[in-house]
Amino acid sequence: MRRPPGAVTELLGPALLVILVGVVGTTASASNEGYFLNALVSVAIVVAIYVFVGISGVLSFGQISFVALGAFAAGVMTVPVESKKGVLTSIFPLLRDHSIGNVPSLLLAAALGGVFAFLVGLPLMRLSGLAAGIATFAVLEITHNVLREWTKIGPGATTLALVPETTGALQATLGALVAITVAFLYQRSRRGRLLRASREDPAVARSVGVNIHLERLLAFTVSGALAGFAGGLYVHLLGSITTEQVYLELTFLTLAMLVVGGLTSLWGAVVGALAVSGLDSFLSRAESGVHVVFTFTLPQGTRLVFLAAIMALVLILRPSGLTGGRELRLRWSLRRWR
Amino acid sequence: MTILASIDLQTLGDAFGQGAIYALMAVGIGLVFGVLRLVNFAYGQLIMAGAYTLAYTSGWPVAASIVSCFAVVVALSLAMDRLVFRPLRSSSPAVMLVTTFAIAFLLQAVALIIDLRDGQLGQVASSIAPLNQAVSVGGVDVRKVTFVAVGVAVGALITLALVLTRTTIGLHTRAAASDFRTARLLGVRANRVIAFAVVVSGLLAGAVAVLLTVQNPFVQPDFALEDTIIVLVGVVVGGIDRLWTATLGGFAIGFVSVIVNAALPTDKTVFLPSVVYALVIVVLLLRPAGLFAWGRRAAVERV
Amino acid sequence: MPEAAALELDGVDIRYGSVTAVRELTLRVGRSEIVGLIGPNGAGKSTTLHAIMGLLPVHQGEIRLNGQPLRRRSAESIARAGIALVPEGRRIFGDFTVEENLRLGLAARRRAYMGDPLAPAFELFPILQEFRRRQAGVLSGGQQQQLAIGRALVSRPDILLLDEPSLGLAPLAVDGIFKAFTEIRELGTTILLIEQRAQRTVALANRTHVLVGGELRMTLGPGDAENTQKIIAAYLAT
Ligand SMILES: Nc1ncnc2c1ncn2[C@@H]1O[C@H](COP(=O)(O)OP(=O)(O)OP(=O)(O)O)[C@@H](O)[C@H]1O
Ligand SMILES: [Mg+2]
Repeated sequence: MRRPPGAVTELLGPALLVILVGVVGTTASASNEGYFLNALVSVAIVVAIYVFVGISGVLSFGQISFVALGAFAAGVMTVPVESKKGVLTSIFPLLRDHSIGNVPSLLLAAALGGVFAFLVGLPLMRLSGLAAGIATFAVLEITHNVLREWTKIGPGATTLALVPETTGALQATLGALVAITVAFLYQRSRRGRLLRASREDPAVARSVGVNIHLERLLAFTVSGALAGFAGGLYVHLLGSITTEQVYLELTFLTLAMLVVGGLTSLWGAVVGALAVSGLDSFLSRAESGVHVVFTFTLPQGTRLVFLAAIMALVLILRPSGLTGGRELRLRWSLRRWR
Repeated sequence: MTILASIDLQTLGDAFGQGAIYALMAVGIGLVFGVLRLVNFAYGQLIMAGAYTLAYTSGWPVAASIVSCFAVVVALSLAMDRLVFRPLRSSSPAVMLVTTFAIAFLLQAVALIIDLRDGQLGQVASSIAPLNQAVSVGGVDVRKVTFVAVGVAVGALITLALVLTRTTIGLHTRAAASDFRTARLLGVRANRVIAFAVVVSGLLAGAVAVLLTVQNPFVQPDFALEDTIIVLVGVVVGGIDRLWTATLGGFAIGFVSVIVNAALPTDKTVFLPSVVYALVIVVLLLRPAGLFAWGRRAAVERV
Repeated sequence: MPEAAALELDGVDIRYGSVTAVRELTLRVGRSEIVGLIGPNGAGKSTTLHAIMGLLPVHQGEIRLNGQPLRRRSAESIARAGIALVPEGRRIFGDFTVEENLRLGLAARRRAYMGDPLAPAFELFPILQEFRRRQAGVLSGGQQQQLAIGRALVSRPDILLLDEPSLGLAPLAVDGIFKAFTEIRELGTTILLIEQRAQRTVALANRTHVLVGGELRMTLGPGDAENTQKIIAAYLAT
C-alpha cells in the first residue's frame, strides 16, 4: 500500500513544536516555567478532545469530565498515606490506606478515563448534533456534582493538596507527545479514517457498512483515556486542585483552543492550545506588570477581555481556525512560501 | 406517593415562578436560533448587563431604572448582532457557539472591570427589592415576584404569539425560521427579520433581568450565567427547532428543578444537579429531537 | 434600437467552485412571452434560475432585468425588483395556512393595489380561496403547486420563473397548470418555464431552448412540437 502523503509532517510537525516549547521552558526562569508546563498540559487535553470532537464531528462538552476523573484519581492515589489520614477523613478506607507512584497514577488516570468514557458513550454515542452536545454537557455536570459532594471518593468541595508535583518539563513534554502520538496513530488507522469519512457524510458511511455508533464509541473511549491521562498530568503539575478547576471554565477554554486552532486537524489542536495558552500567559504577566518594550500594568480582568476578544476575532475572521483545520504539509507550505 | 406528599403549594408556586422566568429566557434564545441557527450562549450576559444597569440606577425612580435596563439590554443585543452574529452567518454551528462563549467571557470580564472600580465585587440593586416580599394567599406565603414573574411571562408569551401570528413581521419571522432561503426568495428582508428577532429577544432579556434582580438583588459578573446554561439545556431537551417546544423545554426544566429539589431528602439536595441532568440524558436518549417535538425529526442533525 | 427584453442572459457562466455548471448561456425573454428551457437531469436548468435570483454568483457575463444589470443583488432584492421564482419542489410552508403562504408572497410586492391583495391567486385558482384556512401541508400535490404559483403571482411580478412545475403531478393536474400558464401570459406576465415535459413545453412556449451539459443546444418553435425526432435528437446530441 502506498504510504499516505504527508504522514511524516503530520506527526513530526506537532511533535517538534511541543519539544521546542518544552526545551524553551527549561531555559525559562522558575517563575515563567509554569506557563510553559501549563501550555504543554493544555496540548494534551486539547488533543484528547480533538480525538473525539475533531475526528467524529460530534460536539462534546463532556471531555473535561474525564480530565476531572483522571486528575482526582491520580491526585488522591499519590498523596502520601500518612497525610491522607489527616486530610481525607471520610474517604473509603481502600483509597485512604494505599498510595501509588507517579507513573502508575498516570496509567490509572488513563484507564479510568477510558472506562468511564466507554460506559458513558455506550448509550450516548447514538446522539448527534445539539442533543449530543447537551447530553455530554450533562455528563460534565453530573461528574462535577458527584466529585464535589461525595466525600467518600475524594476531597469534595475542599482543595486536594499535597499531590506530588512531578509534572516538570520532561514529563509535560513526554505527556503531550504521548497524546499526540496516540491521536496520530488513531487518525491514521483504518477505523479513524472511517470515522472521519462518516463526519463528511454520515449517510454514505452508513450505506457502505460503517457502524457509526461503534466507531464513535471507540473514538470517545480513546479520547476519554487521553483526557484522563492529561488530567493526571494536570494534577501533578498543580500540586493541589479543586473540582472548580476541571469544570466549566476549562471546558470552554479548551474547546476554544481547539476551534481557534482549527477543529479538524491534529496540527490545529496543538497550535490552538499553544497559541491560546501563550496569549493567556502573556496577558497574565501583563496584568501583574511586565516589561514589553515599555513597562505597563493592566487592571484586573483585562486579561480575560483581551483573551476573549482575540478569540472572538479569530473565529469571526478565520472561522476554520488558525491552521484552516488542515494538517501540516511540508510541500503545501513550501509552495505557499515560494 | 412520597414525591407528591413533599410538595406543598408554596413549592408549586416557586416552581411556576422559576418555570415562567426560564420560559421567557427560552423564547429569547429560541427566537434568535430560529432565524440565525445560532445558539447564543452570551444570552445570559445580556441579562447580566440589565441587572447591573438596575443596580447602578438604584437611586433613580423605579420606572426610569427599569426603562434604562431595557434600553441597555436591547442596545447590547443589537450590537451583538451587528458585530458578531452578522459576520458569523455562514459559519458552522460549532464555530458560532464557541464564538458566543468568547463573547460571554468578554462581557463578563468587562463587567468585572467596571464593577471593581469601587474596590469591591458585586453591586446591589435595591430599588426594586420590595417586590421580593411575601404575600399570604390562603395561608401560603408566596413572594410577590412569583406572581409578577408568572404574570409577565404569560403576558409576554401571549403578546408574542399574537405578534407572530397576526402581523406581517411575525409571519415573515416564522417563515424565515422555518425556511430562510425560500423566505428570502419571496422577498422577505433578512435583516429586518433578524433585527426583529434580536430586539424581541433583547426585550425578553430585559424583563428577565428585572425579575431575576428582584429575586437576587446582589449583582455579580456571573449573574444569570447558571440560569442561562440550564435554560439552554432545557431548550434543546424541549426541542430547539420550534419556538413553542423550546419554550416548554425552558419552562419544564425550571419547574422540574424546583420540584425535584423539594422532593429530595434534605441531606441529598446537594445532588440535585445530578438528578436533573440524569433526567436530561434519559429524555435526550428517548427523544433526541426534543421532548415536545412530536412526529418530527431533528433538523439540527449535525453540529 | 429594439426595446430591452424583459429578461436577458448575456454570455453567462455559472460555477460551483471550480466546476462550470452553465457555460456562455445567452437567452432573451421578451415581454409577455413564454420561453421554455428544457434539458436532461443535471443540464443546469435550476442552476440558471438560481443565478437569475441571485442565489448563485454569475462568474462571467451579465443578467439584465428590463435592461438593468442584476449583478451582486441579493435574492430578496431581486424578488422585490419583480422576478418571482416558483422553486423546484414547490417549497411551500407546510405548517402555515394557505392564506399565510399567499401573504408571504406579498413580501415582494412593489406597490399596493385596490381590492383583495390575494386576488391574483384566487382568480386563477379558486380552490385556494375555498381552502384559504387549511394547512398548506395537507393539500394535494397539484393544489400545492397551484399555491406555489399563486404565492408567486400575488407579488404581481413582471417575470415568473417556474422550475419543473409539473414534476410529480397527475396528468389532470398537469393540464390544469399548463392552462394556467396561458392565462398568466394573457394577463401580461412574462414566463421562463423550465420543464421535463418537452413536448408540451415546446407546444406552449413562444420559443423553447434545449440545454444540455450547461450549454444551449438548439432552439425550437411551437411548430416543432410534433417533431418528436428533433426533440429527442436535441437531448441526445453531445
Ligand atoms: N450545490 C451544488 N454544488 C455543486 N454542484 C452542483 C450543485 N448543485 C448542482 N450542481 C451540479 O450542477 C449541475 C447542474 O445542476 P442543476 O440542478 O442545475 O440541474 P437541472 O438541470 O436543474 O437538473 P434536474 O432536471 O435534475 O433538476 C449538475 O451536474 C449538478 O450536479
Ligand atoms: Mg433542477
